[in-house]
Amino acid sequence: MNVPLSHVLAVAALLFAIGGICATARRSIIMILVGVEFMLTAACIAFVGGALAWGNLDGQAAAIIVMGVAAAEAAVGLALLVHGRRGGGTAEADDYNRLGGRP
Amino acid sequence: MTTTIALMLLFPLAGAVFQAAFGSRLGRRASGLAAAAAVAGALAAALAAVSGLGVAPRHVGFGQWFAFDGLSVAFSVLYDRVAGLMAVMVTFVALLIHLYSTVYMRHDKAYARYFCYLNLFVFFMLVIALADDLVFLFMGWEGVGFCSFALIGFWHEKLANVDAGRKAFLMTRVGDLGYVAALALLVAAFGHASASELAARAGTLSPGMATAVALLFVFAAFGKSAQLPLSSWLPDAMAGPTPVSALIHAATMVTAGVYLLMRLEPLLAVAPAAGATASLVGAATALYGAVCALGQRDVKRILAYSTISQVGYMFLAAGCGDVSGAFFHLQAHAFFKSLLFMCAGIMIQACREEHDIFRMGRDLRRRMPGLFVLFACGAAALAALPPTSGYFSKGRTLADALAHPGPAFQIAFVLGVVAAFVTALYVFRMVFVAFFAEPDQPARPDHDPAIARMQRPLWPLAFLALVYGFANTPGFMHIKPFLDAYLAGTATPIPPEVEAAELFVASLDAFLALAGLGLAWALYRPARRPAAAADGWLTAGLGLDALYRRSLAGPYCRLAAFLWRGVDEDVLNGGVSAAAAGVSGLSAALRRLGSGRVSASLTALFGAAAAMLLWLALRLA
Repeated sequence: MNVPLSHVLAVAALLFAIGGICATARRSIIMILVGVEFMLTAACIAFVGGALAWGNLDGQAAAIIVMGVAAAEAAVGLALLVHGRRGGGTAEADDYNRLGGRP
Repeated sequence: MTTTIALMLLFPLAGAVFQAAFGSRLGRRASGLAAAAAVAGALAAALAAVSGLGVAPRHVGFGQWFAFDGLSVAFSVLYDRVAGLMAVMVTFVALLIHLYSTVYMRHDKAYARYFCYLNLFVFFMLVIALADDLVFLFMGWEGVGFCSFALIGFWHEKLANVDAGRKAFLMTRVGDLGYVAALALLVAAFGHASASELAARAGTLSPGMATAVALLFVFAAFGKSAQLPLSSWLPDAMAGPTPVSALIHAATMVTAGVYLLMRLEPLLAVAPAAGATASLVGAATALYGAVCALGQRDVKRILAYSTISQVGYMFLAAGCGDVSGAFFHLQAHAFFKSLLFMCAGIMIQACREEHDIFRMGRDLRRRMPGLFVLFACGAAALAALPPTSGYFSKGRTLADALAHPGPAFQIAFVLGVVAAFVTALYVFRMVFVAFFAEPDQPARPDHDPAIARMQRPLWPLAFLALVYGFANTPGFMHIKPFLDAYLAGTATPIPPEVEAAELFVASLDAFLALAGLGLAWALYRPARRPAAAADGWLTAGLGLDALYRRSLAGPYCRLAAFLWRGVDEDVLNGGVSAAAAGVSGLSAALRRLGSGRVSASLTALFGAAAAMLLWLALRLA
């Protein structure tokens, strides 16, 4: 293997940070879901890189599980978004703030 | 003996409780009669108790009050001839004043409260007269102070009356500090404080201790008896109903200070400095009161200043150690001054609540000749015209001062003599202006027949004011002095020097009284159409009130304002408010974190994760 594990981890960390910033800084639910996908992908890369470095298939299995989780998350998240829009809501995450109580 | 004394005390107490419970349901007339009956019962008991009393004092105990840590206080009574006569005098004057009050308060709606306090006052005053244990006496002392406070502010709808009551209460409390301090010293020395014990063991006290205790008691007496420097509450105390002024602020309560000194005469005997202080201050107060009375227009305030002045004479005699002389003047004063006060009450009601003597005039005399005769009897005794009671009793106090060696007593004698002249002057100024002058704006007369009925209880007092002096005539008249003979063995006998001085003093006193009468006629006779001078220093009591207001009340108010506005509101309230505002601001900041916004939650989550990872990384490194 030509690429050392530290580089793989660095890319994963960078991707995770980009996803985190995207998820926190953006207001739109779509963009938040995109940020979450970024972070899940970064985790996948870290798992796959670990599996390659140590010759252990557990990491690849975990990557497949993460893909499944990501697909399910995207499906549920988008379904919730569609439901919210139908109920007269918006695509802005900050409009769904009833947990904070009525100020 | 025990039963009669207990009855004497219980009659007015039961009367007060009865008035409080049933007085207002009973109706005005029955309530007043019940109150008078209670005092009449006390008078009967007092007469029964005193009738068979020998020279030896009787000790009567009604059980222990409380005891702890080497202090024991008992409801004990020292019943000697002074106490016996005092109790008779108090109940007798109180009975007449109760009878007068039943008519005087004929329109007042709070008659039950009035008679309740009046009966309660008689009870506490009898406690003072009888008590042996000085703590028991202090109960009566404070009790009369409370009744005085409640009755001065009796018409409490007017704020000025309430203020006058509070002023009297506070100023007499200042004197009471002396009483409490003296009690503390005595209890520390003896374990308990009683008049008889003090009489027996006063000699065993160290001279410094005896002087300190005696001076503190004298100070307490000054407060109660409105002597300088604690005199300024008494003129304001005239805000109360006039019978109250007659009973409490002329005949009985203000003389309680003198009575205390009479009871503690053995202590004063071993502390000559205290006696000299009492005499000197008493004489100075006599002059002060007489001079201030010259500047008053309100008939009750004239009489109030005259009370201050006359009580000063009693202090003069008591400070000289002459118990029977002080007691003689106390009794004579009680008779003529309560007479004068009740006459003043009739004058005020007859002129429709007009207090100003410059608006009464000769119409009053023509309408109510009986009232004029009564008032003249009292005035003659107060001005010490021979041979009224005031002439003999005041002469005795002056003779005491003259016969006593020491510069303090000589100064006191001179002050007393000048005061005697001024007394005659202000008394006849009052008589001539109130009963002879033709005022420009006379008060409207009130022809209610009930007003004339109020004169009836005053005739015995007028009789006593005129002839009571013969109970204790000076030696040169060669009539047996009954009071001195009766009190011989109870009180210290008068020294021969006093008897030697009496002839000189009697002639001087008669001359001064007649000179005062003549000068008053020259200045205030109706032909001169006397007009009231503008209010000045004399009206304001030589500025004593203003001095206290400026030097004591003013700084106190400023300190209180500083403590209120500066310390309490700014520092304490400000601190609490700032703490509350800080917590509230912190909560507002925290509330923003929990706003339910996804981005905030996520930021917090990432921040926490980053911090944890950083911490782990640093630990591993």
